[in-house]
Amino acid sequence: MTLTAENVFDKLKEELGDAILNYEFKEYKMGVKKPRTYKEIWMEIDKNAFRRAIEAIFKIEYPHLHFITGEDIGESIRMIYSFGLFHEHPWGEVSIVIKFDLPKNKLVLPTITDLMMGAETNEREIREMLGVEFDGLKNKRHLFLPDDWPEGKYPWRRDEYGVDDMIKHTHKSVKDIREERGEQNG
Amino acid sequence: MAKTTYYVPIGPIHPALKEPIRVEAEVEGEKIVKVDVKRGFAHRGIEYMGMKRNAIQTLYLSERICGICSISHPYAFVIGSEKALGIEAPPRAQYIRTIIAELERIHSHILWLGVIAHEIGFDSLLFWTWKGREKVLDILEAITGNRINYSMYMIGGVRRDLKESHIRVLKDMITYYWEFTEHMKEVFLSDPVYKARTRGVAQVSKDVALKLNLVGPTARAAGLRMDIRQDIPYDAYADIDVKAVVPQDIVGEARGDAYDVTMVRIYEIEQSLDIIEYCIDNLPEGKILAIPNYIALLNKIKKTEGEGIGAHEAPRGEVVHYFRYDGTRDGPAVWKVIAPSYNNINSWGYCLLGAEVADIPVVVAYIDPCMCCNDRVAVVKDSTGKILDYSILHRKAVEKTRALEKELGVMK
Repeated sequence: MTLTAENVFDKLKEELGDAILNYEFKEYKMGVKKPRTYKEIWMEIDKNAFRRAIEAIFKIEYPHLHFITGEDIGESIRMIYSFGLFHEHPWGEVSIVIKFDLPKNKLVLPTITDLMMGAETNEREIREMLGVEFDGLKNKRHLFLPDDWPEGKYPWRRDEYGVDDMIKHTHKSVKDIREERGEQNG
Repeated sequence: MAKTTYYVPIGPIHPALKEPIRVEAEVEGEKIVKVDVKRGFAHRGIEYMGMKRNAIQTLYLSERICGICSISHPYAFVIGSEKALGIEAPPRAQYIRTIIAELERIHSHILWLGVIAHEIGFDSLLFWTWKGREKVLDILEAITGNRINYSMYMIGGVRRDLKESHIRVLKDMITYYWEFTEHMKEVFLSDPVYKARTRGVAQVSKDVALKLNLVGPTARAAGLRMDIRQDIPYDAYADIDVKAVVPQDIVGEARGDAYDVTMVRIYEIEQSLDIIEYCIDNLPEGKILAIPNYIALLNKIKKTEGEGIGAHEAPRGEVVHYFRYDGTRDGPAVWKVIAPSYNNINSWGYCLLGAEVADIPVVVAYIDPCMCCNDRVAVVKDSTGKILDYSILHRKAVEKTRALEKELGVMK
């Protein structure tokens, strides 16, 4: 049996209480001849309640993980988790997006790989790209970046830990490099 | 005598792999006892490039993520952007988008059937299936102007209209492929050798598919009724009530192996034919673009703040794009792409354990992997450990050409 977006939210609210800082139901109209609306739940939560929120979702039904991503917003990293519930039912999927800010001086999150093995890929990517450490993640090998990638450089970061210096170097022209070396141009 | 294991590295460049990925297997005799997969050989940092461009430029960049499913990424892109920006595509455009997406599913599935036949060693079957695939590619070329990278979609509609002559060829095509899929069922599903080679290979149960977060035909073959076109319908799919194709509906049980994946793909081609037929019979009249002026569209994007998720059921599984427009730039401030292979490669480690070395190509091919979708930085070092950047590599290439010219005596 499926639940509506409102019912799912009520269940999450019961578990999380005040840890939900902000929420919104986004409504979209889909279809031309038989237009119907479907709703997505977008909520901002307290970062300390993250594990509780994930467990609450798993309690309702085993979800499908759409993606995990993060954004460097200055002082902190905004994490975004997107799950889909009731994905085996026509028109029934309830999409839940959970957002929270993680301060840069304490970039640690509990892993969800113990609940869902498939989340390993996502967590490994976030770890190497943003430098977020996942507590309990077993395989900490690089996913996309080479094994000898310089430590402490995270491609998605926009601060001093990002790869700006490397990118600048990549776009240097042959002329610039020859000038730096004192070689003759031409 | 103590057991000895051997380390078999496959890739990143290997004749059995069409694209670069490294499978590191440890074998004991013929059995695989440990597997690790290394990706990232085709990572191009496309999301980073997209965040430096305007939305229309990024849309066409997204099409370059993958060549085979070159409509899947723009489809998720336009849906996500439309949700974030509050734009609605006209009905006619929605139907045309669906037709193009289904045409692509047909060509992609037939391509995969050829690939799996090749991996098993039936090269004549590869040639036969790919010959059959030409028809849909010709139609895609007639409608969009290109066999690949169609540049058809736009935020808020499509760029080309469907003419009466296109509808005529589409109807011919439907008759042709109904016959073609009947042949394919005979050749693939009834063939004892094909069955022996794929039954029980790359087997995933429904429970494991759920835990490994698998998507698309790979998950459906395991019995999971999961299809974005059914779960979160969009465009014309919302009118059609698409039902996920699962083996239990066809033969009564789902075993989740390479044979079931073949079955799901063949039946999905038939489903696509039905969808195209519905769309051309019910094609609404009207305009094809919500905001026909691109400057006006970019101006709207520049002034709109919002975020959205676009999901499309690509031939290989779901493609999800996340967007955030910050209302100061005419392009996305954040863009995250998840391709089906990103999730489906998770199954390799599971399926290869205990399998035989000769099954590696089947296991690798059964999810229809796409490294270009999956990877989106490579660092090249010389023997002294110095990093070689683009300009040095370019210089080396030019030097080699010059040296060859000299050697061959063709220097001007």
